[in-house]
Amino acid sequence: MNEIWALALKDLKLLVRDKAGLFFTFFFPVLYAIFFGTIFGGMGGGGGGSGETAIVVVDQDGTDASREFAAALDADSRLAVTPMPDRAGAEEAVKKGQKTAFIVIPEGFGSVSLFRGEPMKLIVGVDPSRQAEGGLIQGLITAKAYERLQSSFMNADSAREMTRDALDEIAQTDDLNPLQKGILNTFLGSLDTFLEQAPDAGVIGGGDGGGDDGGDGGDSAGGGAAAFNPIEIESVELLADESGEGPSPYAITFPQGIIWGIMGCASGFGISLVTERNKGTLTRLRTAPLGRSRVLLGKGLACFMTTIGVAAMLLVIATVGFGVRPGSVPLLAVAVFSVAVAFVGIMMLLSTVGKTEAAAGGIGWAVMLVFAMLGGGMLPLAFMPAWMAPVSHISPVKWSILAMEGAIWRGFAPADMALPCGILLAVGLIGFALGARLFDWNEH
Amino acid sequence: MITLDTLTKRFGSLTAVDALSLAIEPGEVFGLLGPNGAGKSTTIAMTVGLLRPDSGTVSVGGGDPADAQVRALLGVAPQALAIYDELSARENIQFFGSLYGLSGKDRARRADELLELVGLTDRAADRVKGFSGGMKRRVNLACALVHDPKAVLLDEPTAGVDPQSRHAIFEIVRTLRDQGRTIVYTTHYMEEAQKLCARVGIIDKGRLLAMDTVDALIAQHGGQSVVRIERGETQERVQTAEPLAVLQKALAAGDATGVHVERPDLETVFLNLTGRSLRD
Repeated sequence: MNEIWALALKDLKLLVRDKAGLFFTFFFPVLYAIFFGTIFGGMGGGGGGSGETAIVVVDQDGTDASREFAAALDADSRLAVTPMPDRAGAEEAVKKGQKTAFIVIPEGFGSVSLFRGEPMKLIVGVDPSRQAEGGLIQGLITAKAYERLQSSFMNADSAREMTRDALDEIAQTDDLNPLQKGILNTFLGSLDTFLEQAPDAGVIGGGDGGGDDGGDGGDSAGGGAAAFNPIEIESVELLADESGEGPSPYAITFPQGIIWGIMGCASGFGISLVTERNKGTLTRLRTAPLGRSRVLLGKGLACFMTTIGVAAMLLVIATVGFGVRPGSVPLLAVAVFSVAVAFVGIMMLLSTVGKTEAAAGGIGWAVMLVFAMLGGGMLPLAFMPAWMAPVSHISPVKWSILAMEGAIWRGFAPADMALPCGILLAVGLIGFALGARLFDWNEH
Repeated sequence: MITLDTLTKRFGSLTAVDALSLAIEPGEVFGLLGPNGAGKSTTIAMTVGLLRPDSGTVSVGGGDPADAQVRALLGVAPQALAIYDELSARENIQFFGSLYGLSGKDRARRADELLELVGLTDRAADRVKGFSGGMKRRVNLACALVHDPKAVLLDEPTAGVDPQSRHAIFEIVRTLRDQGRTIVYTTHYMEEAQKLCARVGIIDKGRLLAMDTVDALIAQHGGQSVVRIERGETQERVQTAEPLAVLQKALAAGDATGVHVERPDLETVFLNLTGRSLRD
């Protein structure tokens, strides 16, 4: 063990004395996190996708109206709707980053009386890292509500049903004085008669050019009364801290910054293995009473320690300088440990791909950039087309970010951490074993 | 101390070492002389257990160098400068010491001793990247000695160094010899082998062509000496096994204006054995 420690210590000394390596390992990630954190802070959160936005819909009402509303959301090409039976499952899916938002259609949705000015109520929760998409979702919901309102009045049967419901309620209520009841009964009775005699029972104004867009009548409704909004959205602040606020933009960007630093570490140590092989120092190390595995473990330990150092430094900066409050420090430690193990394995694999330092560096960074692009380390996944979502699973960057976000602001429980951390540990162990096996020692 | 028995190593169709056998005694300075690509470094690599021979055996102190403890009997200064440029001379020596399990105190003591041996005490704290080629070679050599090995394998230790450093390295080798260490010295400079080595093995294309003391090799394979006798504008060349007798006769005649004796050397031996020069 002492020999492995000596090897790792030597590599850390070499890293500290390499100014360029030091910059890209430690300082570039800080700049990245601060830069994008500031930008996203100004934007009100990351995201803003160009593809389908994945949402979960929970229909607690179970009426025709709620089913129609859910179907309308599902029919929208901008949304990929997954129905779920309960709200807790939906919230979990969003917390874990599997879905962008959830919409709960609560009980009573279908029995809302628009004649009484009651809005339809919905409960919406959006992934804090996808706030721009959250805006899109709220806009779409509002549009669907207006469409429903419009179709209710455009459809004679539906309108008659609502009119008769309203007449029944007027008859039964004690809140109205006789004068008000008389006026409303007269008006709604006339409307009911009109709807009954509508020439095309079904759609009012249907037929040729019958103004099915509704003209501008809706806009003028109210004439001095307060503007009526057919939808009331109760926003649920997911993953709120004690102050009730969601995570800061820096909580979202610092994990990405950490990933950039860690990718720099893995690439740098992978290249250093190739350098040592080509320079002959690896061969010399082998003449000492060390097995190959110990030599590689020494390199791996140095990479691991640097990775932990980068993550720790950035997390301290995030906490002290930018007010990021990790939800669970122990889980964050587990996440960082898993990420470090994964990238040690990746480092080992990368060292096998190039015969020269230039080749290893070029190929290594190319692979890292693909990982970053696919995994949301470069652009948030929300910006990518829907088909990229399953592809992103192959990127360790995705699981790394998810694990760190899970501990920092997604509120993951230990069980939730098992999947990303398990994948990262597997990547690390398999990568290291495979890389060690494939590594060309060039001892001839 | 070191015994190689019919060692053979092939890389594809190339036979790098071909049935090579030799035995090096404890305390001996043994030279392995041959041109570049002769198979010297491959032989060293098999001797220290880095390469497994395709056939044949290696024994170091009676053990197999594939065993880490046996390998610890050896110190290796490879031909490539296998040291870390960003570390100081002292840090390099101490780092390699740590790989052999030396305690911090022992590492510091050995670093001081070796820095003095290689003449770099005043540059101990300087990073190696600022050193000349000769100074780097000396650090390379010091790193091979940090664990006080019984045998030292020096692979082309003077490659690319200035005359001053070359002289310093010769002195270090002599000191190591006087300390009773076994030394295997590979080189393609025949004058180095001639100056430093008790016995020399001549290797070419992976095969050991001859092995003996320098004098014996010259006597067996060097051919006769050449005595050049100058008489005014004319010159006579006499090939002889008895150059002293020829000299005496020429001087006795009284008309010689100059005499030169060209004794055969290891270069001549190699030429006679292979038909090629060592530097071809």
